[in-house]
Amino acid sequence: MTSETLLEIRSLTVKYRTRVREVKALDGVNLQVATGEIVALVGESACGKSTLGLSIIGLLPQPPAVVESGEILFAGRDLLRLRESQIAAFRGTRISMIFQEPMSSLDPVYRVGDLIAEAIDVREKRKVTRPFGPFEMTNPAYKDGRDGGFKRVFGVRNPRSNRKRAYSAEVVEALRKVQIADPAKTQEKYPHELSGGMAQRVMIAQALIEGPSLLIADEPTSALDVTTQAEVLNLMRSLRDEIGASIIFITHDLAVAAQIADRVAVMYAGDIVELANVGDLFRQPQHPYTEGLINSFPRQFKDEGGLEAIPGEVPDYHTQIVGCKFNPRCRYALDRCRVAQPDLIEVRPSQKAACFLRYPE
Amino acid sequence: MSEILVVEDLVKYFPLGSSGFFDRLRGREVPKVHAVDGVTFSLRQDETLGLVGESGSGKTTLGRAVLMLDPPTEGKVLFEGQLISELKGEELRQIRKRMQIVFQNPNSSLDPRARVKDIISEPLHAFKEFDKGSVNETLLRVMEAVNLPEDSLTKLPHEFSGGQKQRIAIARALVLNPRFIVLDEPTSALDSSIQAQILNLLRRLQDEYNLSYLFITHNVGVVKYMADRLAVMYSGKIVEVAKTRDVVERPLHPYTIALIASAPRLEPERKTGEIPLTGEIPSAVNPPNGCRFNPRCAYAEELCRTKEPELREIVTGRFSACHFAERFLSSHLPRAENGSPDVG
Repeated sequence: MTSETLLEIRSLTVKYRTRVREVKALDGVNLQVATGEIVALVGESACGKSTLGLSIIGLLPQPPAVVESGEILFAGRDLLRLRESQIAAFRGTRISMIFQEPMSSLDPVYRVGDLIAEAIDVREKRKVTRPFGPFEMTNPAYKDGRDGGFKRVFGVRNPRSNRKRAYSAEVVEALRKVQIADPAKTQEKYPHELSGGMAQRVMIAQALIEGPSLLIADEPTSALDVTTQAEVLNLMRSLRDEIGASIIFITHDLAVAAQIADRVAVMYAGDIVELANVGDLFRQPQHPYTEGLINSFPRQFKDEGGLEAIPGEVPDYHTQIVGCKFNPRCRYALDRCRVAQPDLIEVRPSQKAACFLRYPE
Repeated sequence: MSEILVVEDLVKYFPLGSSGFFDRLRGREVPKVHAVDGVTFSLRQDETLGLVGESGSGKTTLGRAVLMLDPPTEGKVLFEGQLISELKGEELRQIRKRMQIVFQNPNSSLDPRARVKDIISEPLHAFKEFDKGSVNETLLRVMEAVNLPEDSLTKLPHEFSGGQKQRIAIARALVLNPRFIVLDEPTSALDSSIQAQILNLLRRLQDEYNLSYLFITHNVGVVKYMADRLAVMYSGKIVEVAKTRDVVERPLHPYTIALIASAPRLEPERKTGEIPLTGEIPSAVNPPNGCRFNPRCAYAEELCRTKEPELREIVTGRFSACHFAERFLSSHLPRAENGSPDVG
């Protein structure tokens, strides 16, 4: 299964630092993502899954976030050592991100066609040489578009007036690729006229324009209805097969991870506590937290007995836990768990867990 | 089992914008959102009726309408044999003691500046249902019922986690000893490990306090675990009602089939396949002619585009609003859950 590694995260530690306190959001996280692989990051609120996603694409709000240590190797380069201008060259091109709320991520004043065309335009502009300064576009795409007098008045070409016409074929193609039934009609709509599922497809279409090799999807289906969610999940799977991009899929829903992922990383309070192939993880969970999550997933009927809930609460940012962070909620906890923190060790090939119970004697 | 709640032909429209004076003079009809459009169901004593459907299908509106929080436009609501949709003022207020609601997001349903003790005792004060000595006793009793420590009474909501806040909201609903509680997505805002705790708590309380629940959710797994009977809503109508097991395992309406099939399963070997659904959720302002589901239905025929189907009993205890529901009785369809071993 393991082809070449596209992304490698090595002992990444991220803290959020404010004047009054310091909170460790990620605590030495290691993760590898192979080319064409879908890795799901699963965990409850405040476990660090979004922080991990944002650090990869260089969108962590710094301050308050501070990267304490670690490396994020993408295509052989450490993203954390790059200057902002260098990261910007990766962001949106080699690495793209889609967010939970499609409605709030799409600019409400532009039509769908313009939103897609803008992404194409950014890509095309990068290719263009500009011999006579910024106003002289030699991009062939601009030749057929008319300006409507915009240049006469403002002295600059109006990029928006042309974009849609110049790129219309590609816009339609991009929308068709994300299975929008009527691209010609949809590109004339504004975001508020779209349903949640359609808006999320437009987001995905935007993210795919540059042909990224890594797509980070942060809860992309959590705001959608189940029927739409199933469609978007199917779409993302088929896109992966088509374009061969790797996907990091962040979700709080274990069942969604089961549906989409090749490998699953279960996170708890800033650590990856279990990392395994999706089949192994659900068949034989090795970490008590994973086991608890699976057991607390409602799937039986009312008359078929109760659910086994994990006791206690999800630790929030100001609780300091000594030892394994799951020990206060763990029913197998040993004395050792209250003192030291277990490492993520290989329990068997392609399955790792951070639990003392799995340590060899 | 006697019926605690009977709802007949309940309709709730929301007018769109204000109806202009001149519009009314000209007799022009104001466009309205058909949020709930002719719903009939009943809830038995000690029973949980699940109400599932996607966003915009009218489940929350229905929940609020049966409590008379948003009085229905038309239709009857009978609670414990009393026609409450005709009641007003003090009479209605007295009925409210016996019916309660728990909302989705405890962060917004609890007053951030009130102490837990005040939040939970407010219903008691509102109904003057106490003598001074017994208030504390009642508070401690409900706090124990929802597994919150006694010292939480003097704390403020922000000192609690999401799950604990939902426990407080449940305690507030319990304090007047209601018979019937509307649970409007009570676990949707919670983490998955906490969701199971709250679901178990609600089931235990139902047994201890002999409660009847109307459980509103979009999560098929949750409703399966909670409900005795299940009603599926689509575009303001109930399209299928039956015992939960029947609805989940042998659905009799194409929308239910799609809904059950698209719920993600925990087994990675069983991927959600193609969903037999096309198109978009219809507009609630101008619902489509005929069956409301026909534009998205994989099985739609000419009749579906012209005639609106009634909710009718297909087999004893199993109701469906599909002209062709009988077809789904035979098992030529892929069974949605625990069905054929389609491992692949």
